[in-house]
Amino acid sequence: MNIFKREMKANRKSLIIWSIGVIFMVASGMGKYSSLEGAGGQSMNALMADMPKSLQAIMGTGSLDLSTPIGYYGVLFLYLAVMAAIHAAMLGSNIISKEERDKTIEFLLVKPISRTRMMTSKLVAALVNIVIFNLVTFASSVGLVQKFADGEEVIGDISMLMGGMFILQLIFLVIGTAIAAFFKNAKKATSLATGILLFLFIISIAIDMNEKLDGLKYFTPFKYFDAKLMLKEGGFEPLYLGLSAIVFVGLTIVTYTFYRKRDMNI
Amino acid sequence: MNMFLHELKAYRKSTLIWTVSLVAMVVLFLSMFPSFSKDAEEFKTLLEGFPAELRKAIGLSVDSIATLLGFFSYSFLYLKLAGAIQAMNLGTSILSKESREKTADFLLTKPVTRTQIVTSKLMAALVSLIFTNLVFIAATFVMASLVAGDEFNKEALFLIALSLFMIQLMFLALGILVSVIFPRIKSVISVSLGTVFGFFMLGMISSTTDDKALRYLTPFNYFDSAHITENLSYENSFLLTVVLFIIAAILASYYFYTKKDVHSV
Repeated sequence: MNIFKREMKANRKSLIIWSIGVIFMVASGMGKYSSLEGAGGQSMNALMADMPKSLQAIMGTGSLDLSTPIGYYGVLFLYLAVMAAIHAAMLGSNIISKEERDKTIEFLLVKPISRTRMMTSKLVAALVNIVIFNLVTFASSVGLVQKFADGEEVIGDISMLMGGMFILQLIFLVIGTAIAAFFKNAKKATSLATGILLFLFIISIAIDMNEKLDGLKYFTPFKYFDAKLMLKEGGFEPLYLGLSAIVFVGLTIVTYTFYRKRDMNI
Repeated sequence: MNMFLHELKAYRKSTLIWTVSLVAMVVLFLSMFPSFSKDAEEFKTLLEGFPAELRKAIGLSVDSIATLLGFFSYSFLYLKLAGAIQAMNLGTSILSKESREKTADFLLTKPVTRTQIVTSKLMAALVSLIFTNLVFIAATFVMASLVAGDEFNKEALFLIALSLFMIQLMFLALGILVSVIFPRIKSVISVSLGTVFGFFMLGMISSTTDDKALRYLTPFNYFDSAHITENLSYENSFLLTVVLFIIAAILASYYFYTKKDVHSV
């Protein structure tokens, strides 16, 4: 419990900064919608629909209906998801590797708790952090999208998107912790985690731009919770949910087993 | 000279990794150009039927993006992002790592002035960036000539690719300034990622609002590829801002570092 409280306090400042960042992001994104709304939504849609897939990818729209607030929000969602993923990956790798980096691991490991318990407290603290981040995003999105929606029901769709984002956050959190537990050099763990994240993101853009790369979509979590797919189908694809669960459980096990045997570098 | 060589060696691996990833990104993006240009041609004929305001509302004219330069400018956005992270990381870490890794007192007790320390480290960072950019520009040209169906403006492509270097220099200077102002930086990557993404989002917003004053706030928008393609030159006022900013930041870094209170262990 002490470790949990300590971690919550240590991450409080960064969580506040990230929350302000995401609120700003939603606000500025939806601000753009209000300027777009004036430009004539309907003909815009007709145009978008005829656009080749690769061009749509560049615009970031895909088959989303840009004339409705929720469709427009779908475009924005990609960037929110990337932000959330970066937060989660950095949090995950940092929360483990910082003890070694700051030379506090000796102090922590001589305390009468097992490494497993220590890891659990840290993971729970990280989990609470990403839940708060998710809720902040959810609240600001609902507030701002509702403003443009003229009484349309948006909460359901946004909750679904946020559900997808939460799973994405979980995946990247354990990617971060697994790297920090597995990788020898604690100082490089965060860089490596964000590097992997950016690589996966670029892959997902490349898949959008070229149909030949479609087979790669199982390898990048950003494709698992695509706003286009979720809004069209009205739910998650079971296959992707299964894949996410496997990745999540697998990497959690990796985190625990490797951390328990880890040779600390002091 | 020893410090310079030591830093070069210390950053050799990371420079190589960054260079390879930038090249990989160029290759990935440009290899998609042939199929993309075919799609875009079809779309262009279709677009003629729509009113002009609408075409403006989508934010970029399909006309320009269907060309190799236009397509490269689009992918360049992500290359700039990656390049900026590299430079900011390098700038933030190169001075601050000494106190983080508790090697500051070893270094500062050597018979060299602090000014010399900053100079050698700065030179090493500069050489790393120059190396990255040389390889990057070479790779861009090789890829461009491979995928371009017909002739393209080589000078414009060179100027666009070179603007990566300017942006990197700005972020390098900014990173060094940040690292000497703040007493202790625990994690370089969170500082640099936060700053770069902050500027990147500012850039996104400023490019949709077309606000001239806002453009000065983010290095990402200093070098407008449409302007470069048209005039084969950078915009003077922005070029001047870059030079002034870099000089000011570097001078300030020297000033602060010579007075900095460096904690030993």
